[in-house]
Amino acid sequence: MDVELAKPFVKAAMDVIGTMAFITPRAGKPFVKKNTIATGDVTGLVGLTGDGKRGSVSISFQKSCAVAMVKNMLGDDIQDIIQDVKDAVGEITNMISGQARAGLAEKGLVLQGSTPTVIMGDNHSITHIAKSPIMAIPFETDQGNFTIEFCFE
Amino acid sequence: MATLDGFRTKDFLDQITILNDIAGSKDPAFLPALIELFEHPTGDTGVDYMVVGALNAVLGTSESAVNLGLGSSHDPFRTLCIRTAGEYAFASAAEPLSRMAAEETDPDLLVEILASLAKIRPVGGAAVFRNFLNHSDPMIAAMAMEMAGVYADPLALPTLMDTVQAAGSDGRYETCEITTWKAIDALAAIATPESLAFLVGCVHHQNPTARRIITDALVRLGEAALPYLEPVYINGSTDDRILACNIAGFIGQRKGADALVRAFDSGRFTDPNVRYAAFEALGRIGTLKGLVCLVDGLEENDELILMAVVTGLERHAAPGVLKTIAERISSGTENSPRIAKAIVASRALRLFQDLYKDELVAVALMGALRQSQDQTVLDAFAHRLEQMGTERSRADAASLPRAKAATRKALAADDSKSMLALYRSILTDMGFEPLLAANGQEAYAFIESGEFVDVVVTDMNMPIMDGVELVGKLRASLGYEDVPILMVTTESENSQRDVAAKAGVTDFITKPFKPAAIKATLLKLLESRPASSLA
Repeated sequence: MDVELAKPFVKAAMDVIGTMAFITPRAGKPFVKKNTIATGDVTGLVGLTGDGKRGSVSISFQKSCAVAMVKNMLGDDIQDIIQDVKDAVGEITNMISGQARAGLAEKGLVLQGSTPTVIMGDNHSITHIAKSPIMAIPFETDQGNFTIEFCFE
Repeated sequence: MATLDGFRTKDFLDQITILNDIAGSKDPAFLPALIELFEHPTGDTGVDYMVVGALNAVLGTSESAVNLGLGSSHDPFRTLCIRTAGEYAFASAAEPLSRMAAEETDPDLLVEILASLAKIRPVGGAAVFRNFLNHSDPMIAAMAMEMAGVYADPLALPTLMDTVQAAGSDGRYETCEITTWKAIDALAAIATPESLAFLVGCVHHQNPTARRIITDALVRLGEAALPYLEPVYINGSTDDRILACNIAGFIGQRKGADALVRAFDSGRFTDPNVRYAAFEALGRIGTLKGLVCLVDGLEENDELILMAVVTGLERHAAPGVLKTIAERISSGTENSPRIAKAIVASRALRLFQDLYKDELVAVALMGALRQSQDQTVLDAFAHRLEQMGTERSRADAASLPRAKAATRKALAADDSKSMLALYRSILTDMGFEPLLAANGQEAYAFIESGEFVDVVVTDMNMPIMDGVELVGKLRASLGYEDVPILMVTTESENSQRDVAAKAGVTDFITKPFKPAAIKATLLKLLESRPASSLA
């Protein structure tokens, strides 16, 4: 069930971004993607396998939101903004994937997560490999928006 | 025998060894001590995580303890019991869980309870999920809809149908909510005459994403969906008929082809676009009756329809079919050159190779081939002629013209193979090198790889990425701010055109069209571009 799988990721995203980056996201209405392409300025992507299923989860941040997270996490200690944003988004994606998968494991659903890949570039696009529709959950924060996209088959 | 006495004072290695043993033994005797450890964690994340694992394993053997835990005042333990009840599908937990679902107000916990019930799948559970079909949290409503499908709950139909219908109302068709998706899938899973007739009635849903999900669901249903498509051939609007033909083609069953042939025979398919879609579907299915109908299609004089006919025949070329085509080409009627041209334009190499054996037919085909401006087409046929290895074929291969090298490129996107073949022929005639894509995503990949095109022709409805989205992405790409984009459409609703126009479409052309009409429109668009941007 997509919803049962997606919900822990949404909850983990809110927890992790709230705890680590002191940003409170507000979840919007989930919708079905028109295509298989995720767009954003910085995207963290993890592949998931297990229980006879495979899929991917991506979290795409607007630049302003990604930068705000890094500033909140590192304070004045920013050395190289590009590298730091990349690291932070990778780390946050990893934590979200880990927390969500731990919750799912408690229900007997054991999923393996790949090491996150981070893609950067203004308004870039990446493709989910999926035949089934992709669920997207938009989030708003005071520092910019991000979207979690979730596809599983 | 492992023991939990004095557990907290033991060192880490001992602790995890003990927990590992307990998880393996699943002995309910450890339950009280494990619950105590769970409710008052050790503070070591690794150990506490293993406590959860061991507790879960032991609870798995003790249905009564889980049921008791569902009433625990310790929230994390209660949640763990909810999850365990579902994981091990404890039937006796269904009743308390159903009661909890009715009273729970926290959406996160409600999801846990419903997910657990979904796994237990108790008899009569449909009624529990039905209460959440209209829940304000779309995730919960979506979950209830999934379960309405699993239970094939007929009482959920009114809500599911309302949900699908509401997604097409004004202002709501640009995004597709997940409840719409789940409602469509549930209606397909329930699969009663009412739900299937409803879905078929929605094939031309206002919301493009919903429309694609409906098409996919009906194609997945396969033969079960076919009886509901036939009434659309008789009573549906032009757009409905086209989409119903497409679905029958994708399903690919003999019964589907029979129904299409019946609709042809009873004169239901008069609109050229419907005829085109029906021939394309028959070509996909390829039954004997369908082939006979396709052969009749050789009488069509619309270039586009002829290409759909030829593409279908190319897939299923049989000796009898070849003989008829050869007769039609050599009969010298008004349609003869059109058929030859259609074989060239749709690159029907198999048909060509067989038909070429008849010298008279070969002369007609070579005549059509020499008129082609498309280097890819010329190369493909020249290669085939060489392969055939006769003296005549080699001489014909050598006689083919070298097309003028195109300097300008044009991009065409359409999910129909025949339409792409037509665009290829039109665009090369106009001196463009055509880049062809089966959907918006493939089309956009050309642009991303650095190709620059002078003009774009795109279909509106395509899988993966539709035309409107492609146009939006092109307009946001450097250098494509004012490149002419022509959208080809059969859509009758103005609302859809508005969305496309807003996305940046320069002009529209409605199918069916004569190749000359699209050429004229493209020339007009190219001429009206500011001179500087053509440089």
